[in-house]
Amino acid sequence: MAAVIEIGSSPPSQADFHRVITQRSDRWYSACLKITRNPDLAADAVQDALLNAWRKRGQFRNTARLDTWIHRIAVNAALNLLRKSRPGVFEALDSDVEDDADRPDQVLQDHELESDLAASLARLSEVERVCFVLKHLEHWRTREISEEIGTNDGCVKQAVFRAVHKLRADMQHLERLES
Amino acid sequence: MNDKTDDIIAAHRADIHSPPPATVQRWHDALDAAAAAEATRDVPRPRVLQPSSFFLGMAMAAALALGIAIGFFVADEDPVTELPLVAESPRPANAVPGALSRGLQVHFRDSRAQIMSLPEAQDRTMLVLRIIEQNRMFENAATSNDAPKLARVLRAFEPILLQLAADDLAPADAEALQAQLAFELNVMLTKLGAESSDDTQPHDLGNTT
Repeated sequence: MAAVIEIGSSPPSQADFHRVITQRSDRWYSACLKITRNPDLAADAVQDALLNAWRKRGQFRNTARLDTWIHRIAVNAALNLLRKSRPGVFEALDSDVEDDADRPDQVLQDHELESDLAASLARLSEVERVCFVLKHLEHWRTREISEEIGTNDGCVKQAVFRAVHKLRADMQHLERLES
Repeated sequence: MNDKTDDIIAAHRADIHSPPPATVQRWHDALDAAAAAEATRDVPRPRVLQPSSFFLGMAMAAALALGIAIGFFVADEDPVTELPLVAESPRPANAVPGALSRGLQVHFRDSRAQIMSLPEAQDRTMLVLRIIEQNRMFENAATSNDAPKLARVLRAFEPILLQLAADDLAPADAEALQAQLAFELNVMLTKLGAESSDDTQPHDLGNTT
């Protein structure tokens, strides 16, 4: 798979882009969906990322892989769209984070996500979810996350800790239900 | 990190959601449109009259996506999903302030007039690219005015405008695109016009049929 996606010395071509869309867009979309929890925003984030990557393909370094480069841009686009759609979404970092799982719109979206794991992620607060996804699924450094969402490293670590704690409790609950 | 946490992380990593096929097609189309527009800007080519059913197909797909987006925008909203994001907000979510609504009407009207009387090839490209720039400005304005659905509709115009910007577009394809865009703009103008009777109030474009 990797050999197909790796790009030579010239900037990636239109065909290269089409190929990675076919092969890897489900990964980009999933990452964006986990961040935004909104299928429309996730789709828009991927499209924005593709168009941005296309415009800046001359800057693409051939030591990287095109799909991972677009993946990173898509995650950033998802964060931007989340911030635009919910201004102040990350402000709760400086205070106690309330679990907002009972908001009706979230309940509806949880249902639409149709997966225990997605529902489990959705029960986290926005900040906890974004920090968990960026730290453990996207492998961002703590400093990168804190800079991205405008807080300090300690707050990010706390949010990740709370997220893992809640997800563990959720998983134990699911295991009990299954057994 | 213990095994349990590792298991949780591994499970979430493996939890992949496939996008709908129409969405993937939209990404392919948007890429083609961007490439076509870029080729037009960078390397002016003589116009070639040729049947291009593939290109027309892409254009129609973009038009369809735009139509669906407008349909969502115009349709009645589920009240559950339309709760205001901020409880104290003085206006409902997706309401468009009067000033923005009036600016949009001018933008749509001008765009419609320009699109219906587009010059050929290179001049047309420059004109359409200017329309795209203005469209992006209004999209940003909609976003900062807490009207996300309107922002999405405006964003949905872009792929089809990019198709129209290509200078090797066959005349029949260009005509079809122009007609489709004019229709979509008429829908938006009708919508905005119907709700501008009271200019003192923000227009709740998302909650009216």
